[in-house]
Amino acid sequence: MSSRNPETTLPWRVRAAILLRLFAIQGAWNYETMMGNGVAFALEPALRLLPGGHRGEPFRQAMTRHSGYFNAHPYLAAVAVGALARAELDGVPVSQIERFRVAAPGPLGSVGDRLVWAGWLPFSSCVALLAFGLGLSPGGVVLVFLGTFNLLHLGLRIWGLNAGWSQGLDVAATLANPVLRQAPAYVARATALVAGMALPVAAHGIIGPGRVLLGGVLASVATGALIVTLLHGRLEGWRLATLALAAFVLFSMVR
Amino acid sequence: MTLEMFRIDDRLVHGQVVVGWGQPCALGFLVLVDDAVAQSAWEQDLYRMGVPPEMEIIFDTVVTATARLSEYRADCRTGMLITSDIDTMVRLAAALPDIRNVTVGGVHHKPGRIARARYIYLTPEEALRLQALAACGVTVVAQDVPQGAATPLDVLLRGEGPT
Repeated sequence: MSSRNPETTLPWRVRAAILLRLFAIQGAWNYETMMGNGVAFALEPALRLLPGGHRGEPFRQAMTRHSGYFNAHPYLAAVAVGALARAELDGVPVSQIERFRVAAPGPLGSVGDRLVWAGWLPFSSCVALLAFGLGLSPGGVVLVFLGTFNLLHLGLRIWGLNAGWSQGLDVAATLANPVLRQAPAYVARATALVAGMALPVAAHGIIGPGRVLLGGVLASVATGALIVTLLHGRLEGWRLATLALAAFVLFSMVR
Repeated sequence: MTLEMFRIDDRLVHGQVVVGWGQPCALGFLVLVDDAVAQSAWEQDLYRMGVPPEMEIIFDTVVTATARLSEYRADCRTGMLITSDIDTMVRLAAALPDIRNVTVGGVHHKPGRIARARYIYLTPEEALRLQALAACGVTVVAQDVPQGAATPLDVLLRGEGPT
């Protein structure tokens, strides 16, 4: 689609600044522009390299362009940020850049949702549950979860920025990476395997060798399942999770 | 199963479609109707990468989608047809009277659009077009994901949709 200029370079200092800013890509998230402000914020160090620097008209126009609506997966948005930085510094026509800004978010969101939210997050949770069942301390369980989850999280951000920069707007080839295409299916199988190991071990960890708590645990699970089924379509998942968490905290305090 | 769902969503292929609807509804194919995308190879490549390997994605213009709808209806897999804007869906519905249900899944902010729900912003003209669609007997609802409630058009246009 676009011819990349091999002479365009991105200094390591600028690349590091973009990477650091990518962690705040949702910092100004809102329903109107979604992560548009964050994309402009992450791109800003690269856009300073445009003719005229940060006081120049190209910089101002590019910042305005990239502050508009943009909604992708926050981790894979790094691919778009890298590609947009390359396109801006290569002087790709604005019409192509704007078309890319419309077309790229959906596929990046789709790939990210399948790989991270529907794949790696449940997998990391099951690994942490297994660690809990095996008797790891609470702090250790948290560390196992954070370590597992962030392995992919950090990897995706670093890889995404580099891949986007090297491919420019021809980023479809990047998304054709077998890891992104096939990994969700393998991660789902791995999650099922780890969940199968973790659930009985964790249940044993909660209930203990006796069966005193078994009835209470089973009744709680059945009640929870009934409530979730009844609320289906009436209450969003995050609200339900917040209510459950609040009830748990309240119970812990009263107890 | 058949082509059952008709969705307006300016993001076209994205997580809510592929994961949110795709997994619980076992979507086997997506029909993306957009005159510009149907002419753009690189955009098609991009959208193709957004769907899982087991899901087929088909690119159509309004004209080709109209001609092939009976073929999609006869497909044994469950399918969803997506347009990125209201105009395209209105043109399709005018050509295909058997479209009886349309879901507005996402129309996002642009200058001139007013918030009707957290994921739907409409200009007064777009609101009128949706009302005209409903007046033709098409049931129009707003719903982003299957877990969310379907908001009827009149409720949505009163600004009482999901916030």
